[in-house]
Amino acid sequence: MHRRMKFGFAAAILFVVSTAHGHEAIFSWTYTTDLTPKGHGEFEQWITTRWEKAHGTYSVVDFREEFEYGVTDNFQLAIYLNHHYVNANDDIPVADPAHPKKLLPGRYETGGEDVHAGHNPEKPFDSYHFESVSLEGIYRLLSPYKDPIGLALYFEPSVGDQETELEWKILLQKNWLEDRLVWALNVNYELEYEKAEDGYERDGMFEWFTGLSYRFVRNWSAGLEFWNHHEFADATVHEHSAYFLGPTIHYGGERWWATLGFLHQLPIGEAFSQDNKEFAAHDGYIFGDEHEKYYVRFKVGINF
Amino acid sequence: MKTEFAFIALPVSALIAPSAFAVRYLDVEQAQQAIFPGKSFTAAPVKLTSVQRKAIEQASGVRVLHDEQQVWRVGGGGWFILDEVVGKHEFITYAAGINADGSVKQIEIMDYRETYGGQIREPKWRAQFVGKTSRSTLKLDSDIKNISGATLSCRHITDGVKRLLAFYEIALKQ
Repeated sequence: MHRRMKFGFAAAILFVVSTAHGHEAIFSWTYTTDLTPKGHGEFEQWITTRWEKAHGTYSVVDFREEFEYGVTDNFQLAIYLNHHYVNANDDIPVADPAHPKKLLPGRYETGGEDVHAGHNPEKPFDSYHFESVSLEGIYRLLSPYKDPIGLALYFEPSVGDQETELEWKILLQKNWLEDRLVWALNVNYELEYEKAEDGYERDGMFEWFTGLSYRFVRNWSAGLEFWNHHEFADATVHEHSAYFLGPTIHYGGERWWATLGFLHQLPIGEAFSQDNKEFAAHDGYIFGDEHEKYYVRFKVGINF
Repeated sequence: MKTEFAFIALPVSALIAPSAFAVRYLDVEQAQQAIFPGKSFTAAPVKLTSVQRKAIEQASGVRVLHDEQQVWRVGGGGWFILDEVVGKHEFITYAAGINADGSVKQIEIMDYRETYGGQIREPKWRAQFVGKTSRSTLKLDSDIKNISGATLSCRHITDGVKRLLAFYEIALKQ
């Protein structure tokens, strides 16, 4: 997609939103147990930008268009499209041909999770790509407005030409101060089958997100989010643990809502596998295929 | 990275531009006449003492957000109380009419600007509060029916009425 087209697309969505009446994900990354009520729908547009690894250039803009529908008051189904723009060059260390488990000092090539299998690593990668289609189901067992704590179960399969994923989440929510102070915790497990040079590579991810947000004036809330990600090669070998922290701000109105969040990788990451110690860890940060240093996410939702 | 930063700037400008449309369904006078038609009203605002505030919170189990309560004495007996509770996004303004015997005569929703739960303004939902007293349990789902997608609003109004009934017992009852 050309840049002008992308601008036009984002501007068109924002125009539609700006002319609609004023609603709700109060966090950028962490899910609450709030669901679209029975018989109602919601359209969401997500735009996530993430950039910077240890060397070279690496920036990705992820787009997601989602349609949610409340099947019952406690069960919501959603379908969404995932596509992204990737720009990468000389971002990952090169392995020493004589000692493949060691890097070649000062030498880098183009790669990473978003660079397609088969791309020549000596050349820059600059491409827009339609990634996958996801189906999401969330079932709420306890409501934070009626029970001591909110609890919901989440399941999401995604199918694409480069990877196929299955994701499970446990969502928890606790409110205080007339529901103006909201704490949420998500415990996630994801199984990913990614296309590689010789077939498919299986990865497992365990991660948890948590956020605390306060509605400081009518319509507006702000808070902090924290993310800890654990990667498992072949879904069994613990490769690394990476940590992220950042602020989030949310506006919720009668007919639409918007949320903007920023996450910065904290330099306290831990590499466990020899491969990750050599190729992914850098000054306390974890890069490799999976992570970048900065993440910004904007979400907007229109209720109908 | 310039392109990506531009993508951030666009949404930020959209965030700060419009706000929700404010709709006031009833003003104070209209709410007074809806609850006590043809009656006269005399303003009798109440400023709670910390002892009264604590007593209300203890009796209702609901936190008191404001020390000052807007109250009108109704000619011929009864009280008209203006109140607000926290909604999902904004405050919900409502009024409660209390009979001379301390029971709820009627409630009226004056401002409601939430995404779901417009049914909260319907007479059938509001009628559930009629006749409730400070001795009523007033619990969502068992005493007051919840509205799909508006659980927070329903619970806060239910809690609000419970608090006002305790307020009547502690600050108004003679």
